[in-house]
Amino acid sequence: MTIAAEQWTFPRVYGGRGIAILIAALLVLWVTGQRVEMGRMATLTGEAVMVQLGLVERSQVADGLGKLMGQLVPIQLSDQRDVTRIEGFDPDRLPLFSHLETVATKVERLDPQSMRREQVIERATVLVRPLGYLGHVAIKMLETLEIALWGTVIAVLIGLPLGLLGARNITPHPAVRVAARSIIGLLRAIPDRISALFLVVAYGFGPIAGVLALALYGAGFLGKFYAEDMESADPKPQEAMTAMGAGRLLLWRFAVLPQVVPQFIAYTLYILDRNVRMATVIGLVGAGGIGQELKGRYDMYEYGHVGTILVAILIVVLLLDHGSARLRHRWL
Amino acid sequence: MSAPADVRLDGVTVGFGDFRALDGVTLEIPAGQICVILGPSGAGKSTLLRTVSGLVSPDRGSVAIGGTTLDRRSLPGLRARIGMIHQHFGLAQRASVATNMIAAAAPAMPLWRALLGFYPAADRRRACALIEAVGLQEEHLARRVDRLSGGQQQRVGIARAFMRDPALILADEPVASLDPRSAGEILDLLRDQARMRGATVLCSLHQLDLARSFADRIIAMRDGRILFDGPPDRLDAWQVAQVYGRAAPEQVMLEAAE
Repeated sequence: MTIAAEQWTFPRVYGGRGIAILIAALLVLWVTGQRVEMGRMATLTGEAVMVQLGLVERSQVADGLGKLMGQLVPIQLSDQRDVTRIEGFDPDRLPLFSHLETVATKVERLDPQSMRREQVIERATVLVRPLGYLGHVAIKMLETLEIALWGTVIAVLIGLPLGLLGARNITPHPAVRVAARSIIGLLRAIPDRISALFLVVAYGFGPIAGVLALALYGAGFLGKFYAEDMESADPKPQEAMTAMGAGRLLLWRFAVLPQVVPQFIAYTLYILDRNVRMATVIGLVGAGGIGQELKGRYDMYEYGHVGTILVAILIVVLLLDHGSARLRHRWL
Repeated sequence: MSAPADVRLDGVTVGFGDFRALDGVTLEIPAGQICVILGPSGAGKSTLLRTVSGLVSPDRGSVAIGGTTLDRRSLPGLRARIGMIHQHFGLAQRASVATNMIAAAAPAMPLWRALLGFYPAADRRRACALIEAVGLQEEHLARRVDRLSGGQQQRVGIARAFMRDPALILADEPVASLDPRSAGEILDLLRDQARMRGATVLCSLHQLDLARSFADRIIAMRDGRILFDGPPDRLDAWQVAQVYGRAAPEQVMLEAAE
């Protein structure tokens, strides 16, 4: 008995079409790679690595990074303030955990008599709070977290109705669904860093612009995912509700909501997590919080302060990652 | 206890594209009767029930329940008097038994009460009483539906169908997803509750033996038409063979067990 399968051919893994697509993809990468200087990136990065191994004398990237790192460390922990600039300063009643220091700074000054420049040593008494700047960063970080929290709250408040109107099985009319989906698309199309720029102009510097920027993008994101989740919910309980004579809202409350609550929580947690990270970034354009502090210090070349802020951001983001992973694990 | 309603179908035709699910079905079910619709898959049993419940509207013909013709205007009022039981239970799996029970009463209460959870006391009492009547315990009320067995879920389904004191119960393959033993128990429960609370029952089944012991009257369908209509003891082997094609009754049982 012959086995027919001996004549068979196993389907080829690499067909002509696959190879053609591969070549086309490589071509696209080659052309676009040149336009964004990928070759130079490879050279510079390679040099930076080779400097570490002692194979090359100098590297532009390693020098630049090294210089910056040298300035970031030591990070700034204390807070110094000239006592003459503190209103109603009383040397006998210093704030808790603080002490006075005299700092001498060399200042070049024009002598009015000789009309010559001379170096003068100016002495100033400063109030030093050893962990003062750390406290300041903590307060700014708290503000960032508050911006993220309120950005999330408002995102849910806008996103949930948009999601309901945009879900095929809940929406009162197909035209309303199209309108809601368009608004969702618009909100998602504008990155929060961009809308923050405009909102800072409209609302002024500070947290309001940050909250709104995060809320608008978050509402678009949540609206889209809420709607899609509700559309893909099991139709059997929904049909049962329809057969009982329930309207759209009751159908949603009793047949859709129970099914989608876990995903809703997951999406909302993700937006909260994302908002905390983004709140630091949009602070850079003046929308309040730690980012605004970072930008201010960076522009004043106070890299020690910048270092403190970067460490604080790193710690908070790591804690948040850990926390949201645990929440998700427990609830879902 | 409500007065059971009679059901009349007059020349009902329903098509999906080229396929005719119901082909001029004329039928009269007197009030209080327990009527089983029997037939193989695709015979039109589900479509018949869905047409009576207003989930599908007929291309031709009319449906009247308790003397009221089913149309867009009368549908909400009629649905309040119909309880429906589904093959896959139609319960929200992640919600509690209590929430699923109250869902049936929700269309009749003010919207804010239904949405905010301030359910009327009478509805809450009725839900408790019905859950007890279908043989479940108080502790099941707070339990999530997906923690219940299939048989328990269908007990909840039956209890829910009786929430609004229906005059008509429509049961679409109520025991098709259950094992044979719970299937018998569930049908007994459905019949007892319907008799006690006064409701006409229109139930589709594909298990012949269950239909025989459950029904006052059997309507056997094939290809959207009625082939047999009469009391269970008049349905003989020849007629069964007609309904199920050439399949012998043993094979019918096999199909039913799937």
